[in-house]
Amino acid sequence: MARQFAKAELAPIAKEIDEEGRFPWEAVEKMGPLNFFGMQAPRQYGGAEMDSISYCLVIEEISRVCAAIGLAVAVHNSVVVYPISQFGNDEQKKKFLPPLAAGEKIGAFCLTEPNAGSDAMAIESTAISNGDSYVVNANKIFVTNGGVADILIIFASVNPNDVKKGFSAIVVERGTPGFEVGLLENNCGVRANPVTSIVLTDCRVPKANLLSREGDGFRVAMAGLDTGRIGIAAQAVGIGQGALDVSLKYAKERIQFRVPLARHQAIQMMLADMGTVVEAARLLTLQAAYIRDQGGELSGPSAMAKLFAARTASKVASMGVQIHGGYGYSKEYPIERYFRDARATEIYEGTNEIQQIVIARELLKRGED
Amino acid sequence: MAKAGIKIIVCIKQVIAGDQVKIDPATHSLVRSPEFSRINPSDLFALNMAAQIKKEYSGSVTAVTMGPEISEEVLWEALAIGADRAILLSDRRFASSDTLATSYVLGMGVRKIGRFDLILCGMRTADGDTGQVGPQLAEELDIPHVTGVEKLEKKKNLYRVERSSDVFREVLEVPAPALFTISSKMTIRLPSLIEIQDAHTRYTIERWNLEDLNADRAKVGSNGSCTSVEELITVKQEKSCVFIEGDSRQQAKLLFSKLIEKNLLF
Repeated sequence: MARQFAKAELAPIAKEIDEEGRFPWEAVEKMGPLNFFGMQAPRQYGGAEMDSISYCLVIEEISRVCAAIGLAVAVHNSVVVYPISQFGNDEQKKKFLPPLAAGEKIGAFCLTEPNAGSDAMAIESTAISNGDSYVVNANKIFVTNGGVADILIIFASVNPNDVKKGFSAIVVERGTPGFEVGLLENNCGVRANPVTSIVLTDCRVPKANLLSREGDGFRVAMAGLDTGRIGIAAQAVGIGQGALDVSLKYAKERIQFRVPLARHQAIQMMLADMGTVVEAARLLTLQAAYIRDQGGELSGPSAMAKLFAARTASKVASMGVQIHGGYGYSKEYPIERYFRDARATEIYEGTNEIQQIVIARELLKRGED
Repeated sequence: MAKAGIKIIVCIKQVIAGDQVKIDPATHSLVRSPEFSRINPSDLFALNMAAQIKKEYSGSVTAVTMGPEISEEVLWEALAIGADRAILLSDRRFASSDTLATSYVLGMGVRKIGRFDLILCGMRTADGDTGQVGPQLAEELDIPHVTGVEKLEKKKNLYRVERSSDVFREVLEVPAPALFTISSKMTIRLPSLIEIQDAHTRYTIERWNLEDLNADRAKVGSNGSCTSVEELITVKQEKSCVFIEGDSRQQAKLLFSKLIEKNLLF
């Protein structure tokens, strides 16, 4: 179904929305009733409550055709819907999950700041207690879905003197006085996703919107990111598969030296390598998904999947450009879009280097046999 | 009566995705691989029509297919779209059935299901493309049928259906039980992720073989077929590109003469 939907509704617009940098509401509205935005929400709140393997397969199929929408769906589900499902109290779940699960409202996750990103504890955003509200001041950047999100998880410290102790996750709704969507990033790839800054200035947010407890924000963030990394790994697998798809097609069509490119051994070797690493990335991703479903320790496997899948997407897209030759460098063929989209997967939801830190930490933690 | 409402049976088929059709040179039969297995596109219209009728008038929808194990996939899809029972008629002895033998097997399946009001089928399959199984099944069961139905309405004991030909629209009233093949003109709805999940958690697929159907062995498979495929030839459509040179006036002239030459302009 996801493949059919992506082919029918996303394939015809993927190039255009990338060029225009436009979020395709017309397609997104059709995705709501099909439950794409409620994959990680419980059934009682209108979600599909899907297992992680099915979740990955859906994200892959969407991203195979349109990485920007794959990203929107992955972020919405992994780092907004899931943390609210997991850490929200009944009231928060009742309030926020049904419109998110139905795709009527889009979610965003706001952690990165001008001086904090990989180093999450360096955030300068504050949420100061004032009666039954927090007064939030925050300058968040590179917010995926930022331009269209209605329900955002903001990370800020309730204790400016000790960021670590005060690190908290608070749900903020667009439209709250003091909430402002900043500049749209003119990004190199995934351009149909409105990545923006979000600025909160003396924004009064009810204390009822605090997820879990004060000071528990890091746990909320990491639970979201561990799931998020599986989602992004699946997105990267989709981009890699998509790059392989268009390269295979081109290699069969393009004639050089009187035979299709696909008849040249050099091209066959590239295709073989591309196919192999995409398959390996897929299996690593599905393995991480399986571990999540089994309730296993997720940080290491999800970081490995994300690191490998992101590198694979970049490598495969780059090889795809090479197969296309001059046309691969032109906007005429979709491979250049895959090339630009793939590169982002090595950066967002934790850079490659952050994944390496996580992986090394997990490896070193293990005792010797 | 076991269950109120309209009892519908939908006959569907598993086919190979359009561009992946491969023929085994030895057996002249289609090579089926799970990766490229699809529900026959025109059967989706029958399933959607059945789901609509069930929604409007209440009732039940039983999806039936004849084929090898791999055909199970299309039954899961049918359950996601709105069927509430799925039956796979599968037996090695059914292999190589032509449309007549297929209609017989489906007919025996329908007899085993018991009372029904409507049988809905797609207009034709994407592979065999005969369009015969629907009408033949109606003949096998000795019930009326209408092909290419676009609209369906229940009027007391009759079904009022509309079909169109090149120049006129026909409105017919048919008594149940009846068989309709459904036109591919209606819009179809994709099942949601929840519906796909529910299909797998709520239902199982029933499997009936030759003995379960109490079918006559002489009437199934190649024994029961009155036609056989002698040869299947893949048709290669050669395309070539000719560049027309010169200024636009010369190009237009040349194009015009070439089209005349190929009898494409009269």
